[in-house]
Amino acid sequence: MGKAWDSVAFIPYAEDNLDYLPGTQASFTENSMSKERSHKATKVLERLSKKLNRQVVGSLVACVHCGMCTDSCHYVQTNPDDPTYAPAYKADRLRKIFKKHHDWTGRVIPWWVGAKSVWTDEDLEELKDIAFGKCTNCRRCSINCPMGVDFATFNRMTRGLLVSVGVMPEGVSVVSKDQWEIGNQMGVLKEDYVDTLEWMAEELQGELEDDSDMIPIDKMDAEVVYSINPREAKYDPRTIADAAKIFHFAGENWTMPSEGWDMTNFGLFSGDDDLGGAVAKRLFDKVIELRGKKLVISECGHGYRSTRCEGPNWAGMDIPFEMESSVDTMLRYVKEGRIKVDKSRNKTPVTFHDSCNNARSCGLFEEPRELLNLVCENFTEMYPNRAENYCCTGGGGAMSMSEYTPRRLKSGKVKADQLKATKTEIVVTSCHNCVDGLNDVIRHYKLGMEVTQLVNLVANALVIPAKIIPVSIPDEVLVLAGKKILVVDDEPDILTFFSTVFEDNGATVFTATDGDEAIKLAMAEKPDLVTLDISMPGKDGGKVFEELRTNAETSTVKVCIITGRPELRKLIYDRKVQPPEGYLDKPVDEDTLMLNVRKVLELA
Amino acid sequence: MSELLHFAEHTLQEVALIIMACVYTVRVFWLLRFKAGKERQPATGAADTTPRKGILYSWANIVMPWGMESTRTKPLMYIQFVIFHVGVTTAIIMSFVIPYLPKLMESNGVVLFFQITTGAAFIIAVLRIIRRVSGPVLRAISTPDDYFSLILLTAWFAFAFLAAPNNSAAGETNLLVYFFLTAFFLIYVPFSKISHYLYYPFTRYYFGKSMGFRGVYPIRRG
Ligand code: SF4
Ligand code: SF4
Repeated sequence: MGKAWDSVAFIPYAEDNLDYLPGTQASFTENSMSKERSHKATKVLERLSKKLNRQVVGSLVACVHCGMCTDSCHYVQTNPDDPTYAPAYKADRLRKIFKKHHDWTGRVIPWWVGAKSVWTDEDLEELKDIAFGKCTNCRRCSINCPMGVDFATFNRMTRGLLVSVGVMPEGVSVVSKDQWEIGNQMGVLKEDYVDTLEWMAEELQGELEDDSDMIPIDKMDAEVVYSINPREAKYDPRTIADAAKIFHFAGENWTMPSEGWDMTNFGLFSGDDDLGGAVAKRLFDKVIELRGKKLVISECGHGYRSTRCEGPNWAGMDIPFEMESSVDTMLRYVKEGRIKVDKSRNKTPVTFHDSCNNARSCGLFEEPRELLNLVCENFTEMYPNRAENYCCTGGGGAMSMSEYTPRRLKSGKVKADQLKATKTEIVVTSCHNCVDGLNDVIRHYKLGMEVTQLVNLVANALVIPAKIIPVSIPDEVLVLAGKKILVVDDEPDILTFFSTVFEDNGATVFTATDGDEAIKLAMAEKPDLVTLDISMPGKDGGKVFEELRTNAETSTVKVCIITGRPELRKLIYDRKVQPPEGYLDKPVDEDTLMLNVRKVLELA
Repeated sequence: MSELLHFAEHTLQEVALIIMACVYTVRVFWLLRFKAGKERQPATGAADTTPRKGILYSWANIVMPWGMESTRTKPLMYIQFVIFHVGVTTAIIMSFVIPYLPKLMESNGVVLFFQITTGAAFIIAVLRIIRRVSGPVLRAISTPDDYFSLILLTAWFAFAFLAAPNNSAAGETNLLVYFFLTAFFLIYVPFSKISHYLYYPFTRYYFGKSMGFRGVYPIRRG
């Protein structure tokens, strides 16, 4: 297809002699100087022609600039005076390139139809700002376009083109690297992952006073192979324990793989189909190796979409086993009577947030509601809902792109209003990404709500034969009694929050707001644990960490990094010292914080 | 009727139609040269949603203003859309009726019908120009082609309205302009955004097929 323009696209030529500038100031400036296209721009054009398929081309040519999709976007609603957030405006950034090289009118009279090529690396940076920073690929505009223009799909393609030449937010690069190299997008090492599974299994054995294998690993010929989001292993192992409890009481023949267990796929966000295919294949191959009958995907919107709906296409594989969301699995267990639930255990009013990937790209929206009604007493719908729901703001990998956090939080006003209108106290969602996105919105807009998942509610409602054992740790057990913890963070809110949680659990807490103070306190108090922020004025967390590790007096102090800027992780992990004992991304809730601190301090 | 008007109503239209048909055929083949993306995973969503249902729902979307939030929450925009496109349709029909079924145009009722539909479309087209010029978002996404196509259509509606009585004896200007504009459109449209109606069945087909396969279409609300 690229033939027609190939002849002119890769040599310097006097093209774009009329620059089209959109908007009221639409003007046409003469620029007769011949230009040299940058290597990256050349590659982007080359790859664009290879990526085009009929659906994408249809979406690129069919837009009539009617603007009907405009208000469907949460970015537009929260930036009403900035037209650059409008879906059609964003779409036109790629469309103009397409028109310049693939559309007949665009090639002959580019300024007439707003066609314009891409020349420099700065042009690509601008495209990056739109494709990554002003759209979460939520697909809400797609279902609101009368022409059937699927902007989100070709925005993902745009991301993929940019990623292929290394133009991407730092966080996307870090996470993609982790998923390529370590096999999961949070860089969880195999020993840590297995350690976490064993830890959860032991906790369950203790809780249920039952010695059976609570989390079977790499069991052959199991009916169910359970795959999870690395966030569960790293920050929220409670969801693994809850799922294990449900499988156990359902009498399921199940297992978790020791490798290839990550069902998330950053290829969906980065637009990198090669990564998408490699990650999906890793998981599919593992299930085949274990001769599993069914792959159950834990509650995660992008994980479900990328494994169940996109993975086989990216990997080019026909899958010889069934795949389903754990929501379907839990619902089936309840309906078939394999587990008994008591909805009166979940009395607090809840609402449900549909993940965009589940609802708008995979049609998974009735099952969670059915299950919710079986395990909760008081469920209130959020409006709009199902395929029309608004993005949590954390979609499209936005949680890993901290440079766009202010935009994201501003756009979260739409979600905050939706949540507030439900007048509930808990928002349930079947997506880990949404858990983080919603927590951020809730904190930013001070909604005072809690976010949870169906697996937690089902586990809580489980009727355990003969005895009922509460899942959570009783309040009166002061697990941190006798421990000294130094909290280092420059945000007063975080200092207060962490200190309160640790003190409530019996610890003696010291706080420091900068690096020098932290080192002084660490030397003086010899704490059992330091929770350390990375980004701080003055001496950053990386330097503090290295000093703690290299100083004989503090080298054995346990350190848990807690940062809101995951892309800065290399400041810690690139140092030639022993890595920290724990790592957490902000935002972090009380349960996650305590679970991780207990893990780092090796407390039961 | 002058020779020029006869030429405009017949030969010019026929040549323009043939050119349009050829260009459109090329356009469709161009689109079909791109491979269609396929989905190899099993279907998702409720068992009663299928690609076929999705396609039908997607195509029927045009007559279901309640189907999409964007049309559901802006009924006036939808009404404008209907009037505008009815105007386009009747103005096209009139370009065939006048030369080939002139007797029909002797009925006052028929003339009135054409005048009401094209006249109403003209008013909507003017409103659309105002909206495109005054709305910051529409301004930001509009190209010269968007403005030109809209202004040209507005003029075409106006002349369709004036030409509807088909009374060449009272002066041929309106009929001549109307037919020359029609011919110009036939040739210009495949190169402009007005060709969207050619793509519409394809884009909605593929979007509906995928959404039906994935259990999203028909949209459910609760
Ligand atoms: S994407 Fe669709 S709704 Fe949006 S401006 Fe284009 S045609 Fe209109
Ligand atoms: S996909 Fe979502 S975030 Fe992106 S432009 Fe459309 S509505 Fe906005």
